[in-house]
Amino acid sequence: MKRIILVALLLVCLAVVPLITTREYVLSLIILICIYTIMSHSWNLLGGFTGQISLGHSTFFGIGALVFRYLWLKGIPPYLALGAGSLSSLLLASVIGFPAFKLKGHYFSIGTLALSMIASITIQNIFPGVSFLPQEYLKDYSLVPVYYMAFIVGTITICLVYALTHSKVGVALVSIREDEDAAEAIGVNSFKYKVIAMSLSTLIAGWGGGLFSFYVASYYYYVPFDLGWSFDPVMITFIGGPGTVIGPVVGSVCFVLLKELFAISLGQINVLIFGIVFILIILFLPEGLIGLMERLWRSKGGQSVGMA
Amino acid sequence: MMHFAQIFSYGLLSGALYGLVALGLSLVFGVMNYLIIAHGALIMMAAYMTFWAFFYLKIDPFLCILLVTPAFFVIGWILFKVLYQSLMKFSEGEKIKNSLLISFGLLLVFPNLAILFWTADERAVATAYTGKVLDLFGIRLPYIGLGGVALAIIVIIALHLFLTRTYFGKAIRAVSQDHEAATLMGINVNRICLVAFSMGFALAGIPGVITSLHAFNPGISMDLTNKALIVLILAGFGSIKGVLIGGLLLGAIEATGVYIVGAPYREVFGLILFVLILMFRPQGLTGKKA
Repeated sequence: MKRIILVALLLVCLAVVPLITTREYVLSLIILICIYTIMSHSWNLLGGFTGQISLGHSTFFGIGALVFRYLWLKGIPPYLALGAGSLSSLLLASVIGFPAFKLKGHYFSIGTLALSMIASITIQNIFPGVSFLPQEYLKDYSLVPVYYMAFIVGTITICLVYALTHSKVGVALVSIREDEDAAEAIGVNSFKYKVIAMSLSTLIAGWGGGLFSFYVASYYYYVPFDLGWSFDPVMITFIGGPGTVIGPVVGSVCFVLLKELFAISLGQINVLIFGIVFILIILFLPEGLIGLMERLWRSKGGQSVGMA
Repeated sequence: MMHFAQIFSYGLLSGALYGLVALGLSLVFGVMNYLIIAHGALIMMAAYMTFWAFFYLKIDPFLCILLVTPAFFVIGWILFKVLYQSLMKFSEGEKIKNSLLISFGLLLVFPNLAILFWTADERAVATAYTGKVLDLFGIRLPYIGLGGVALAIIVIIALHLFLTRTYFGKAIRAVSQDHEAATLMGINVNRICLVAFSMGFALAGIPGVITSLHAFNPGISMDLTNKALIVLILAGFGSIKGVLIGGLLLGAIEATGVYIVGAPYREVFGLILFVLILMFRPQGLTGKKA
């Protein structure tokens, strides 16, 4: 009960932020945190819960952004365009992603990596230019609607992942992660559940892409297809805690704030630091910051918060 | 036709380099199931090291091999002790997953380290023989490319002989087949893995030297890794002999693709082939472990 009130309070606070301040810097930071949360949850469904390490999520992010921008400029309302963008990324997944499940373990990782590189090179060749916002869109461009969209989509994503992972499906996904053969042996249809995880994951990645395209006024078409959008979610999820609902949120907050801090004071070294932190976390904290917090909590004699 | 022959021979020249690029990755994966996707970043670092040696000490790039290879052997030794030794105890799947994730972190670290030291600008080592070509029945072959091919053939044959003819090489192959059985035969598995891992790193030094002769920047890491992975899947994971053939095959496919569709899509052909093979023949074309 206490937790529900806390979450509700936090949501209300976030909802009223644009009423209190319209400082673009604050709004931008929260929007970025939302985009990264959405992306890392998308990755987390597949990588954290189901154990399928994808290195190709930028493809689905990029397709979401591409379709959203196209439809939005055609005059379709943003929320509809967002839905269409994510559906098209689901469509792409059903064409190229589901066959990829024939690949197991590391073959899946490098297979998806190859797919995202194909997408990135192809887009660079087909659309070499910059996607501009036309004059009439720029005139009343404001961060407030973007903020609300980011807030709403982010909340929906987290609720969706929470509901899914606290259902029978979630248990099936974890069983596949722990031991795919054993899961099959006790009657879990691993292909079916992997497809469910992949569908939702790509759908969510499509939302993230649409949001990016709504937020950034003009960008090179290939930017959302950049491999960074595949790699950052992996890093964020592992920093926060893979296979938890709260982990990617904590990871995104740390990632965005630290990046902001480092980018000003350290410049290029910031990615270097993230790389080193990532390696250290893989080696010493496989459960991420959430795991560390729970361990500290327990050693203090309190009860486990059980946020997973 | 002449045009095609020219493109095709260029493709084969770069194909030999691709084989060399994949060699270290293949050795490490074959022996201990570690997938070091940072391999391309190591090659990039080796290229910068060559660049430095050439720029400050005026050492010929091909002689730099004697400098760069031992340096990378040491780096591999240290990284194994610090990062990879703790993974030895895991099961095969976990090993691949964790080594992949750690090397993924390294893939973030090395290119940014390179940008820090050498900036993101394009560099190239310009020797006296850069740009000189051998004219063979109207087909122009650059000496650098030919040097690369010769080096690739020598190194791959040498490694093959080392693995099949020497006592230590046989021990490495025994470990690659079965860790436990090798232990029972009195082989110090930890030590063999340490040496094989460091050798894998040292083998990143040689393609690095050749890479430095063309224009390069920190961003090539991912491309090189990608080439190495494609060659690996063409040759079969862990196969040493297959690596040269896999590299040449990739070079030939790329050249044919460039001739038919155009240069901007050069990278795509290999990648598509890669995905297709992963789906239909995941054990590789030759399909045997070394």
